[in-house]
Amino acid sequence: MQIHRTGKHIMGGTLGIIVDISLNSLVLSGVFLIVAIGLNIIYGLSRIMNMGHGALYAVGAYTGYTLVATGLNYFAALIIAPIVVGAVGLLIERTIIAPMRKRSMVYTLILTYGLMFFLDGMIKYVWGNKPCFIDLPAFLKGTIPILGTQYPIFRLATLFFIAAIMGGLMLFLNKTKVGIILRASSTIPEMVSCLGINMNYVHMGAFVLGCIMAGVAGIIAGPLTTIDPLMGGEMLISSFVVIVIGGLGSLRGAVIAAILIGFVQTLAEFFITDLAMVIVYILMAVILAFMPRGLLGEGKFE
Amino acid sequence: MNHTATIPGIKQGLHPLKILIIILILLGLGIFPFVFENRFYISLITEMMIYGLLAMSLDVLLGYTGALSFMHNAYLGISAYVVGLFLIHVSPTSLWLACFAGIAFTTIVALPVGWVQVRTGGLAFALLTLAFGMMFYTIVWKWYSVTGGDDGLMGMPNPDITLFGWHLGSSSDPVAIYLFTLVIAFICFVLTRRIINSPFGAVLEAIRENENRAAFVGINVRRYKLLGWMLACILASISGALFILYKGYIGPSTMSAFAGAGVLMMVLLGGMGSLWGAFVGAALFIYIQDYISTMSEHWEIYLGLVVIFLVLFLPTGFVGLGDHLKRFRKG
Repeated sequence: MQIHRTGKHIMGGTLGIIVDISLNSLVLSGVFLIVAIGLNIIYGLSRIMNMGHGALYAVGAYTGYTLVATGLNYFAALIIAPIVVGAVGLLIERTIIAPMRKRSMVYTLILTYGLMFFLDGMIKYVWGNKPCFIDLPAFLKGTIPILGTQYPIFRLATLFFIAAIMGGLMLFLNKTKVGIILRASSTIPEMVSCLGINMNYVHMGAFVLGCIMAGVAGIIAGPLTTIDPLMGGEMLISSFVVIVIGGLGSLRGAVIAAILIGFVQTLAEFFITDLAMVIVYILMAVILAFMPRGLLGEGKFE
Repeated sequence: MNHTATIPGIKQGLHPLKILIIILILLGLGIFPFVFENRFYISLITEMMIYGLLAMSLDVLLGYTGALSFMHNAYLGISAYVVGLFLIHVSPTSLWLACFAGIAFTTIVALPVGWVQVRTGGLAFALLTLAFGMMFYTIVWKWYSVTGGDDGLMGMPNPDITLFGWHLGSSSDPVAIYLFTLVIAFICFVLTRRIINSPFGAVLEAIRENENRAAFVGINVRRYKLLGWMLACILASISGALFILYKGYIGPSTMSAFAGAGVLMMVLLGGMGSLWGAFVGAALFIYIQDYISTMSEHWEIYLGLVVIFLVLFLPTGFVGLGDHLKRFRKG
């Protein structure tokens, strides 16, 4: 994903540029983080790597675009779009993922890869190839001065929203009964199923939760970037980079890796626009050459 | 009933009937361009053979090592670009030197990538092939001054093709390319089959079946995985050299993730773990693609649906279909 430049930091001087870059990279990290956490929840519980996750993120953004374009408030879209993506995820889980649960990883990878092309094709079929933009309500469009730069209000709001989502997810996983069941199932699924909990529902719930996260990321990222059919694929690769660097299935690793990748990508885009992603890939290769299991290793839920 | 003890994984010699079939197929393909002078079908079969070679190289990785590469076409692309650049900038006539440069360069690029990839384990390996593939794609796409960016590599010269001292003609002649591809693809097939049926291939299959157990037996898993990866990349680079000779053009779309999924589907269609199945899969895929792309622009949706269908209902592919029929007949 490439966040649109604000271009207002010229008046702010060096300090303004630094603040601008830091905040932008935090926003980017936040979006990466939400997509990557969604992938990690599904992987941590069902050992399924969903290659269609990027396409689901794009579905979230496009749904948000359609909702806002039909005259709905952005905040309503913020709630409805993830639910729509969750419903799509439920449908996918019931029809093609559930029958594949016992098969080897290679097959589920190829299956969800096929799913990705199907979803991407459907997106192009429904919304066309044109880039779209989500129109924000007036009071979110403005900018506020922070430390010598004019920073868009919406991005600051996004940062708070992402923090709230992450906090909510932590509370959900640590305090509620469903969250505890999810965490327990990621460690000892046999024991959980012995306690009389239907693992089918656990896997289903994890998949839908992951898809909802993709939808949330999509609707947040929609106003930050151009919505086009390529956005899903780009985000898929970025989130893979994040979870592979952080350690597959590790939530804490994903947080660290997302912040790292967000900063590196924003800096690289600032200094060398075209080959920014190449820097990110090389960084990934160097980290993995020395820490093959990622920064925190194959992880479990918190 | 055959009770002779065979070492698992190491196949015995071919049945005479199979040798006869192979010779007949080769002869049939060999005389095809002289009997049917339809240029369209000659090019189509050339493309099938080139992609068959690429699919076979992916099959070495997927079917024998059990490692998944989402963007194996990246190595076809790298090799094709290097061969093209060599012919354009260094020497427009020395074809073999250009092919050698392409293969050597791809090997040099694939070695560190493979070195990182085999360290990370099964799933991360697959995700990394995608990330590195996208990296090569981005480089080719954005490095306009060298690769021509979105327009692709233009102005390929047409070098003369000589094979074992036998002059086939210029590379603009479809029949010459056809025969050249046929011979090279067949040599690669025989060599790969020989390698796969050697103890080395047996080790690869052991790693595919159970990586931990193979390590306990004393096999250096990473080393063998890296060797399997290198074998697959070298084969892909050979197909890349053929590709640029055949097309006379290479663009970034050949290296895209979408094209990579196509290669994966060829292997699935043919059936994993049988080298000749990859050629069958490639032939089927290219024929179907040629057929559907004339009807609909939403080829992605169909590709996705076919992949999902194949994995759900026919994971063994065309080769497995034959086995199913055999079992069905025996009851």
